[in-house]
Amino acid sequence: MKWLAIAAATIGLLLVPVLFGDRFVFVFIQMLTASLFALAFNLLWRHTRLLSFGHAAHFGAGMFATIHLMRLAEANVLAVPLPLIPLGGALAACLLGVVAGYFATVRTGTYFAMITLAVAELIYALGSQWEALFGGEAGLSSMRLPWAGWTFATTGEVYYIVLGWVVPAAAALYFVGLTPLGRLAFAIGDDETRVRFLGYNAHRAKTMVFALSAFHAGLAGGLLALVNENVNYGAFGGTVSASVVLHTFIGGSGVFLGPVIGAAGLTLLGALLSDVTRLWLLYVGAAFVLMMLYSPEGLAALFIANLRLWRELPWPSLVRLNLLGGLAVLAFVCTTVFVVELAARALTEGASATAVVLFGTTWSLSSPVTWAIPIALALAGHVALKAAIRQRRRLEDAVA
Amino acid sequence: MTSAVISLQGIAKCFGSLEVIRHLDLDVLEGERHALIGPNGAGKSTLVGMISGLIPLSAGAIFLNGRRIDGLAPERINRLGLGRSFQITRIFPRLSAQENLRIGVMARHGIRYSLFRPATAYSAVAREVEALLAKVRLDGRAGVVAGELSYSEQRALELGMALASEPKVLLLDEPTAGMSRDEADHVVDLIRTIAIGRTVLIVEHDMDVVFSLCDRVTVLAYGELIASGPAAEIRRNARVQEAYLGTEHVA
Amino acid sequence: MDFFVVSLLNGLSYGLLLFMVSAGLTLVFGMMGVLNFAHSSFYMLGAYFGYSVGRLTGFWPALIVAPLGIAFLGALIERYLLRPVHRHGHAHELLVTFGLVFIIDELVKLLYGNYPLKNPMPVELSFSAFRLFGLDYPFYRVFIALVAIVMFGAILALSRFTRVGLIVRAAVRRPHMVEALGHNVPMVFLGVFAGGAALAGLAGVVAGVFYPTGPSMAQELGVIVFVVVVVGGLGSLEGAFVASLLIGIFSSFAVGVNWTLADAFALVGVAGADLWGGAFTVKLSTVAGAIPFVLMFLVLLLRPAGLLGERQ
Ligand SMILES: Nc1ncnc2c1ncn2[C@@H]1O[C@H](COP(=O)(O)OP(=O)(O)O)[C@@H](O)[C@H]1O
Ligand SMILES: [Mg+2]
Repeated sequence: MKWLAIAAATIGLLLVPVLFGDRFVFVFIQMLTASLFALAFNLLWRHTRLLSFGHAAHFGAGMFATIHLMRLAEANVLAVPLPLIPLGGALAACLLGVVAGYFATVRTGTYFAMITLAVAELIYALGSQWEALFGGEAGLSSMRLPWAGWTFATTGEVYYIVLGWVVPAAAALYFVGLTPLGRLAFAIGDDETRVRFLGYNAHRAKTMVFALSAFHAGLAGGLLALVNENVNYGAFGGTVSASVVLHTFIGGSGVFLGPVIGAAGLTLLGALLSDVTRLWLLYVGAAFVLMMLYSPEGLAALFIANLRLWRELPWPSLVRLNLLGGLAVLAFVCTTVFVVELAARALTEGASATAVVLFGTTWSLSSPVTWAIPIALALAGHVALKAAIRQRRRLEDAVA
Repeated sequence: MTSAVISLQGIAKCFGSLEVIRHLDLDVLEGERHALIGPNGAGKSTLVGMISGLIPLSAGAIFLNGRRIDGLAPERINRLGLGRSFQITRIFPRLSAQENLRIGVMARHGIRYSLFRPATAYSAVAREVEALLAKVRLDGRAGVVAGELSYSEQRALELGMALASEPKVLLLDEPTAGMSRDEADHVVDLIRTIAIGRTVLIVEHDMDVVFSLCDRVTVLAYGELIASGPAAEIRRNARVQEAYLGTEHVA
Repeated sequence: MDFFVVSLLNGLSYGLLLFMVSAGLTLVFGMMGVLNFAHSSFYMLGAYFGYSVGRLTGFWPALIVAPLGIAFLGALIERYLLRPVHRHGHAHELLVTFGLVFIIDELVKLLYGNYPLKNPMPVELSFSAFRLFGLDYPFYRVFIALVAIVMFGAILALSRFTRVGLIVRAAVRRPHMVEALGHNVPMVFLGVFAGGAALAGLAGVVAGVFYPTGPSMAQELGVIVFVVVVVGGLGSLEGAFVASLLIGIFSSFAVGVNWTLADAFALVGVAGADLWGGAFTVKLSTVAGAIPFVLMFLVLLLRPAGLLGERQ
């Protein structure tokens, strides 16, 4: 069953350039690199309980190293096949990871988080000034050179390079979790002191896990640089570090593939919606906080809890539970989005606004219809939620 | 004459203005089962922490087989052959019982930070983990996540972890605390078997256990050494009776 | 000489502003163990609240009302967002405040627009304190410094001479014991968090009329105040004070210094390092932004517990 799902997913991913146009293939590339980035980030958190707020440093290092290598190839200094170049990005990030990780993992908890944040900020500050290495505002550009009959001129061809790296790298990250170092990392996350009394150098182990995480983050960055053929110091910015945190925790940090759900899902939604709304980040932030409150282990945990129920309970009652829950969430999301977008547009129009255009329709701010819609939606959501809670309680009683 | 395996020389520990250990000298001899007793708050756990490298000394020196170990990192001390258990259970709650022990065993096999095979693929380690699980009577619970084991099972696992690194010198901080009579008896039997060829320093409250198990006894009160000597002698010592056994028997 | 004096004065005033913002952060961190990622967002909200209230009432009432508003907001956040995740540990509390940053920043942009506001200084404070090398030194910089120093003194007095600090610290270590002594522990936490927020809000109101009140205000100070807390030492108010001044003064001097790494090499007898290019020719002034971080790494290496932090 598990292998069947993996096989189906792989075939689906292989077919993407065949089924979709360039624009979507590019979105898929971003989903893949964001997923690898989030998996790399979560290697640190899920195992070692180290929360990095500066992982953009490694992602960006991978991007810059890759572009530099591509430029060297362009200048005929270096003869490396294009598909192998992102590996150089990964190695550069790994090197940075060894240094940054050595310092950051001296501490744990909040201090660790602050050090990683500061490392990224430091590199960002240098990046904006050090033109020779980072190319200033305009950044650095390069071109993909053909190799072995492939021109890499279309997005579809590059997609296969990305896919060819991301899937094995994800598998490798999974494998790391099974190795002695991976198990040790789990133990360190639980009780670092105890580990030391068993004869392990915990600092060394943490540095190694950090470097591994940086390696994969750098690979993800390198792949994106290969696709964009351009990078500027914004790659080190807070938004990049923040996005991987949001992706990982919304998707679910407790399950290996959880971060992929968050990264792929949010990247896709972001690509689809960022033209529609200016407030995308507001919604993501709200979703993140709600997730932390009601399901700290993210979407993946909800999914798995549901899956477990499917084995124990008759399916019609579960379908009803999921439908009611889904309906409630949908209604609340619609209410919020409607009100917020209405307010956003009214505020841009200024104080004298009497009507705004939203979803292709003009809404009068004084018309009762305009306000009846969100109220009705919220009420519907409330009813659905109450019903869902009642249904769940009944199911829980049935199980008990 | 047998030599001192652990030698404490004028060690002291202050937490702020509180003197928890006051200039204490003690030798633990090769191969002996040495009990450390004393009322709550006497400083027994602190002493074990100081020997194992958890708590830095305020003064004095500690030698393990003639080698100075105070100031060394805990992992260095462990690799010199000293293992310990904790009074408050410290296991890895997210790992299974089996994996907890595997972490301990792996280190001794030199498989510390390896990345190239799954941890389960090392057959010598796996065999030893099986044997250890059976030894602490957890073989039926191997796959259970440690956080979900019962209290006494967790205590057994704690002891197993101390054994996993096969230390020549073993410090046990109240290994039978909170156990039923029956469970405690098993642990005492276990300690008796594992103590063969090892030096064991054991903190224990139960006097029956102490006098049936140990060759020598050291009594600590308010961070000071009240008495130290052969078990039979200590049992007769008037000061000990008064300071410790007396209160214990009344209580 | 004039460069030296002006840099020193500006550094002091910037450092004192940093202290005003980080005081609440370090208090909450020291007492509750929660590093509030959204603390600089509270600071920004303070400036905007101050602006809105000030338009109705003038500057002085806003100086009181806006921080109270932020305190109320902080109380709501503690009660409804932080308390429910407390049992999951500090990492989750940190993450919740991290999420709040996006919500607050985006809401501010939604309500007040993407550009800085015109938020003028009250006329009674906009005069020159003294003339220095032919330039007027604004009194408002002195005012910022005064507010910061009063804040420092008040918090110190509150924790030294009353039992508030004692109770809070005890409530963190032994919540059940303190509860048994008749104190309402959840209320204590609520109060601490709201108080920290109010301090950030006050800093916002004060700074908002001097520095631009804009949606990037929080981001600009965000990371620096974390650096202050780490450099100063876990929860140490005095440490934060020293760290703020150090960072303020260092940054202010660096902006005016055109030394390069090559110059430093030349100073110790290695000439010609500028020919190596790259990092060796980057002027110190252009990387002034990096100085706080370098300071932080140095402190972490030499004194892991921070300048005035207690060792465990
Ligand atoms: N980290 C510490 N800080 C301050 N006091 C401590 C600390 N650890 C232990 N103590 C104090 O030291 C004394 C001895 O504690 P401990 O060694 O645990 O005693 P025992 O194990 O003999 O019961 C107690 O009074 C305890 O409160
Ligand atoms: Mg004890």
